[in-house]
Amino acid sequence: MLIFRTAKPLAGILFLLLLISCDQSQPQQKNETQHQHAVISPSRTTDTLVLAIGGEEEQGYDPTMGWGRYGSPLFQSTLLRYNDALEMEHDLATSYSVSEDRLTWNVDIRLDALFSDGTPLTAEDVAYTFNTAKDSGGLVDLSFMNQAKVTGEHSVSFHLSTPRSTFIHYLRTLGIVPKHAHDRDYGRHPIGSGPYKMVRWDEGQQLIVEANPLYYGKKPAIKRLAFLFLDSDTAFAAAKAGTVQVAAVPQILADKAVEGMRLVRATSVDNRGIMFPCQKAGHEELNGLPVGNDVTADPAIRQAINYAIDRQALVEGVLNGFGTPAYGSVSHLDWEEKATRIKDNNLKKAAALLHEAGWEDHDQDGLLDKEGVVAEFTLLYPADRLIRQSLALAVADMVAPLGIRLKLSGKSWDEIRKVQHSQAVLFGWGSYDPTELYHLFHSRVSGQGYFNPGLYNNPAVDAYLDQALAAATDEEATKFWRAAQWDGSTGVSALGDAPWAWLVNLDHTYLVDQGLDIGTIRVEPHGHGWPITANIVDWHWKEEQNGQGGQGKP
Amino acid sequence: MKFFLRKKLIQLILILPAVAMLSFALLQFSPIDPVQAYIGADMLQMSQEQRQQIAERWGLDQPPLMRYLHWQKEILSGNMGRSLIFQEPVTKVIARRFLPSLALMGAAWLLSGVIGFILGIIAGLKENSIYDRLIRLYAYTLASTPTFWLGMLLVIIFSVQLGWTPVCCAYPPGMNPSDVSIGQWLRHLLLPAATLSIISVAAVTLHTRQKLLEVLNSDFVLFARAKGESTWGVFRRHALRHTLLPALTIQFATFGELFGGSILAEQVFSYPGLGQATIKAGLGGDIPLLLGIVLVSALFVFFGNTVADLLYTVIDPRMRKATTS
Repeated sequence: MLIFRTAKPLAGILFLLLLISCDQSQPQQKNETQHQHAVISPSRTTDTLVLAIGGEEEQGYDPTMGWGRYGSPLFQSTLLRYNDALEMEHDLATSYSVSEDRLTWNVDIRLDALFSDGTPLTAEDVAYTFNTAKDSGGLVDLSFMNQAKVTGEHSVSFHLSTPRSTFIHYLRTLGIVPKHAHDRDYGRHPIGSGPYKMVRWDEGQQLIVEANPLYYGKKPAIKRLAFLFLDSDTAFAAAKAGTVQVAAVPQILADKAVEGMRLVRATSVDNRGIMFPCQKAGHEELNGLPVGNDVTADPAIRQAINYAIDRQALVEGVLNGFGTPAYGSVSHLDWEEKATRIKDNNLKKAAALLHEAGWEDHDQDGLLDKEGVVAEFTLLYPADRLIRQSLALAVADMVAPLGIRLKLSGKSWDEIRKVQHSQAVLFGWGSYDPTELYHLFHSRVSGQGYFNPGLYNNPAVDAYLDQALAAATDEEATKFWRAAQWDGSTGVSALGDAPWAWLVNLDHTYLVDQGLDIGTIRVEPHGHGWPITANIVDWHWKEEQNGQGGQGKP
Repeated sequence: MKFFLRKKLIQLILILPAVAMLSFALLQFSPIDPVQAYIGADMLQMSQEQRQQIAERWGLDQPPLMRYLHWQKEILSGNMGRSLIFQEPVTKVIARRFLPSLALMGAAWLLSGVIGFILGIIAGLKENSIYDRLIRLYAYTLASTPTFWLGMLLVIIFSVQLGWTPVCCAYPPGMNPSDVSIGQWLRHLLLPAATLSIISVAAVTLHTRQKLLEVLNSDFVLFARAKGESTWGVFRRHALRHTLLPALTIQFATFGELFGGSILAEQVFSYPGLGQATIKAGLGGDIPLLLGIVLVSALFVFFGNTVADLLYTVIDPRMRKATTS
């Protein structure tokens, strides 16, 4: 009897596991053979374009929490947008103006835009989106904005606490959400006025979207997209297996040929560079962390390293050719000061600079010294980043002939944060928003989180950066952003104080189905999110355009 | 029986708070700053004010003890809190992710149990034969193979080179789960489940083999043989029950390892289960979610061990007597 009583539930448990694995979609069984082929390549039998370009937004697709700040928000549309040449264009906005004191931005919006649920997009929604983003504690930092107000049926005004020319980038990136349908769970079923709408999101696996029939702009040619959330190695495997038509792949895999796919490389501002602590070591502390480094505090050391590095060799050797030399943090962008592109791989000039500053090898040990300080310091890099490790190794080799020794050390970000004011670190940045320049070099924000960790301080540069933020127009701001890099006598570039040695900009590498035309490739920001989708409405199948129909690969 | 369940229930009531407290304490020592993990690459865009705002939204501005007490109060009222990274109630995240994981673990568990037991029997019955040696070689090699490595190897061979199995995911990309046929669904389960089971086969095989040899060398088997029993007869009438016991114990006791293995396998195959969520929660410093998963997995492992205990009483009459008396 006892066996019976216990065995029954046990058998139940055992079979429960079996049943769970059989429970799904029994009635579909007859379709099995028909769909077998689809497992390998869905595009050949369905209209879905499958992409593996990383970037799942775990917290949901809610712009007020930060969705869409790289690339396009896809489900939502923005007030302004970039065109392929990264020039500002109107999107939802029909015009905008900045007040005399630069504290108020007035924006007029179009009234023909509809959300995908059919309700019109109004000024009310725009103001709501900005105010909500400010207060939500997400990844949109609008702490400098006081309030967004509705001023008319189709006009909104934004009131800032300080002048800020870079506010324009919030108009470009913040997708407008519908006030009537926005709540805590909005990110899981977003409703917007963008080119696509969400069909379903299977977390950890895929996101399926379909063209939004109510979209006011250019209708996308690709009706249905599936974004797979794979890590980059699996993405490459999936591309090889023919499962995906667009895959973001790491540079080291990019030159491996995959049948039916072509390699697309996007130039980027995604840079890597060495930050030098610019203060002398003392007993000072900042937020309880040690400050200063006697070697890197000398501008001659920093400049000499800048001149000694062979950036083209780094591109070839470390990035496999998939990159460009970087002489600043904003390469390829409009506000880069081109004069800062020095002639590098110049050991002679580097040695001369060091000699001039009094660095000599007094004790004949192969290392320079000056007033008892030996020219060696630690260079930190995040231990899990292969490219940064390789860059650090190569740079250490390049400066060794000068008599400067870099001691390399891989650590976690949390450890790096604790020593970043006293030791050199290999960082990577790169944004469309020049506010980044301000945070990298302005003395007022020194040591706040990762802002200006080397505590660089140059009043002239501070003044340029302030003027850039306070500028009335983009053109005017650009002038000051450039001057901060080099104004003819000072600046943050290698020509000036050289608080950083920028090394390379990474090319972002994608494998794309040969039949797919993805339009103009833009200069991309630091590699997160989906920058490649910024022009997704222009994507189309080549065969379709030629009127041949179908999209099969040969 | 009643006594047994009551004892188990008391154990569970003691274990869960201990696990919760220990996990919470460990997380306090973790170097991961959840706010920084959340901000990630945007760290040059975030002002101190914004960081502060994020910390406040997550309640991280409170001292740890307050946060723990608050969390415990919520748990007792059936609320597991809100996941930081998923922006959703923890129960919802776990509920959605548990089923795929359970299917994966269940399939792997059955496969490894059945295959492991059969291999163990073959090896034991044919001691020192070529079969025995091959099986042991296989078991020793796999016992020391990392799950993720095997997973990647299988993907390279079967998915990329041969194209027999899909590279990733729980069903074909681009399809709605309601349109997925059971064949497709099993196909996608095959490789992750194989990865998990191939590795856990080893323990069952070796234990079964060992026990079988022990039984075959015992006096009562000698006696049975003396009476003219064939090897098969000996095995069926005398050895089967004895060997089943350690096999089942091992099987249920490996629930913990199964869970750990599935975390890695899910990562390799982009299989959207609880394991993947665990990694995200750990790296993102998502304390509510991580603690929720820890509690659920503790329950899961506890359940496995309890079933193993119960099974003893079913298979071994002597133990039944001990527990009922």
